[in-house]
Amino acid sequence: MSNQTISPSLEPLPPGDRPSRHTFDLVESLGKLARVQVFQIVLVLAAICLVFSIMAPGSFPEWGNIRQIIQNVSILAVLGIGMTFVIVTSGIDLSVGSVLVFSGVVSAKTMAAIGGDGWGVAAVGIVVALGCGLCWGLLNGFLIGKAKVPPLIVTLGTLGGALGLSQVITGGVDIRDVPPVLVDTIGYGNLPATTIPLISSIALVLVVIFGIVLHRTKFGLYTFAVGSKEQSARRVGIKVDMHLVKIYALSGTLAGLAGILSLSQYGTTAIAGQSQTNLNVIAAVVIGGTSLFGGIGTMFGTVVGLFIPAVLQNGFVIVGVQPFWQQVAVGAVLIAAVYFDQRRRDAASRGQSSSSLKRLWSRSP
Amino acid sequence: MITSRTAVVALSVASVSAMFLAGCSSDSGSGGGSGKIAFIQGVSGDEFYISMQCGIEAAAKDAGVTVDTQGPVKFDPTLQKPIVDSVVASRPSAILIAPTDVAAMQAPLEAASRAGIKVVLVDTTLEDPSIAVSSISSDNKGGGAEAFSAIERLSPAGGKVLVISTDPGVSTADARVEGFEEAVGANSAFDYLGVQYSHNDPAEAARLVSAALAKDPDIVGIFAANTFAAEGTATGVRQAGKQDQVKIVGFDAGPAQVKQLREGTVQALIAQQPGTIGTDGVEQAMAAIDDKPVTAEISTGFHVITADNIDGEGAQYVYKSSC
Repeated sequence: MSNQTISPSLEPLPPGDRPSRHTFDLVESLGKLARVQVFQIVLVLAAICLVFSIMAPGSFPEWGNIRQIIQNVSILAVLGIGMTFVIVTSGIDLSVGSVLVFSGVVSAKTMAAIGGDGWGVAAVGIVVALGCGLCWGLLNGFLIGKAKVPPLIVTLGTLGGALGLSQVITGGVDIRDVPPVLVDTIGYGNLPATTIPLISSIALVLVVIFGIVLHRTKFGLYTFAVGSKEQSARRVGIKVDMHLVKIYALSGTLAGLAGILSLSQYGTTAIAGQSQTNLNVIAAVVIGGTSLFGGIGTMFGTVVGLFIPAVLQNGFVIVGVQPFWQQVAVGAVLIAAVYFDQRRRDAASRGQSSSSLKRLWSRSP
Repeated sequence: MITSRTAVVALSVASVSAMFLAGCSSDSGSGGGSGKIAFIQGVSGDEFYISMQCGIEAAAKDAGVTVDTQGPVKFDPTLQKPIVDSVVASRPSAILIAPTDVAAMQAPLEAASRAGIKVVLVDTTLEDPSIAVSSISSDNKGGGAEAFSAIERLSPAGGKVLVISTDPGVSTADARVEGFEEAVGANSAFDYLGVQYSHNDPAEAARLVSAALAKDPDIVGIFAANTFAAEGTATGVRQAGKQDQVKIVGFDAGPAQVKQLREGTVQALIAQQPGTIGTDGVEQAMAAIDDKPVTAEISTGFHVITADNIDGEGAQYVYKSSC
């Protein structure tokens, strides 16, 4: 044992000076809570809801309206799950919208070829859609994980490829032959004896399951490790390449599921649609606090991030504002979210706290 | 210390739910009596729908109701559905809508109808239009046939003709193409090359026309089935340098097409009457609200605008780009 004196901060405090575990400073707690990123986003959502509730008290806060918002957000939520995993690994998946359309198209064609109306046909359609999504996901994953092509380029390529193939298969004509059992129960049905939409329940169950996977399992831990510092993850022994393949396969499969859900909700393959879906999902995930540079993210944040653009659009329409403002508002929130994330990372890497906005105006680097 | 993730999640869900529960009331079944109607365009920024908006606003002012106009940025049912849902939540007395897809918009508009809101279909229609009190559109099939007559007059010798439409499944465009195809089939002097889809994107239409002219350099006539298709077709023909050979007949008469008409790149425009569709729509909506008899189907007419009458009687049929 050396004779060096321990620095004052490491010396144990005399018993009388240790802070008691039972004191609870409410203000300090709220202050700490407010700095937790996810709660900041919830505050933003709560503020938006409050403003619209005040401006349109008879229409906005009604269960009927909220139910519609939740129903319309459900498909994006399913896509957002996969996108959260992808962005946490500091990758990106631009192909989700096109894979959704492709899965819907192949699934609809299969169901039309089999004929019939019942749940048997629908089940085949669901399996086919998941399979298509899985194939595209594996393709993405293989090119990104094994062939080491940057994710932006690979998924940009599959975005065009999947959409193009959908148009080749259908000749550009939407297929409107969806078994009514899908549209009536999944598309517009509710949970038995409630008014909660079934499609939203499916999305919620998946969000919870994959939230647990992301935050409580080894798979999720490896995801964060790969996103945080890929080299270190490799050296520790994580099979990064296979992990990336699995992540993109997950994203693709969920896009396939979203394809069958979209088919159920719209009753048509909507080939010309879904053009902005990928960017909307990425914006939602990033607004929710997941860092584009990887390593940080929460499933709950993604859910909140999905609601902000949806509530903004809904509120603007109810209040009677031009819908173009919604895009302006979402753009502003997105930039603000990434700015605060970037500041937090910079400050953390320098060991400083990131609480002051003065840095914005100061001349120091 | 409450910085654990579970606590954050629980607190935030609680705070947002509290806000909604505070304002929550049971779903009311009645539609309105609120003195406001809503107009949902097929796509915003399209002069056809802007002219319709002008007609609707003028008629609404006369009837003493306010109008709220909303529209998706693209002619896309996945973008129009959330707008319809939000408009239904704001509970107007009536909705005038141009559905962007005959199947996808059926269920949301049925929900509006069940909520007691009077639905009037303007321009495009649904698979099952019985949920609406009235469907008003131009006689699109006749318009397509008229477009072929215009090409016949411009190129009496016959030759190859092409159609550029917007998207398959858009009821109005499909009807125009059908009318044109029937007329072409009846005339053996003309060779019909088929229909191509530009997805309501002028740039895409230009590309399609360039490619078609590269394949068949002796095309004599192109029928462009809507505003954006006509814009792009004229561009494509100019790029290929074939303005003198190819006669273009466009559907819809927006300011850009009128400019092309004056320049000579487009030879004729089939103008619908969006303003009249709008005023008829408001009339039917008000009749439905007041429980008076409604007319289930109204067909409005069209006019042919050429370089000869553009400054005379044709001028009044040009679409507006603002009210």
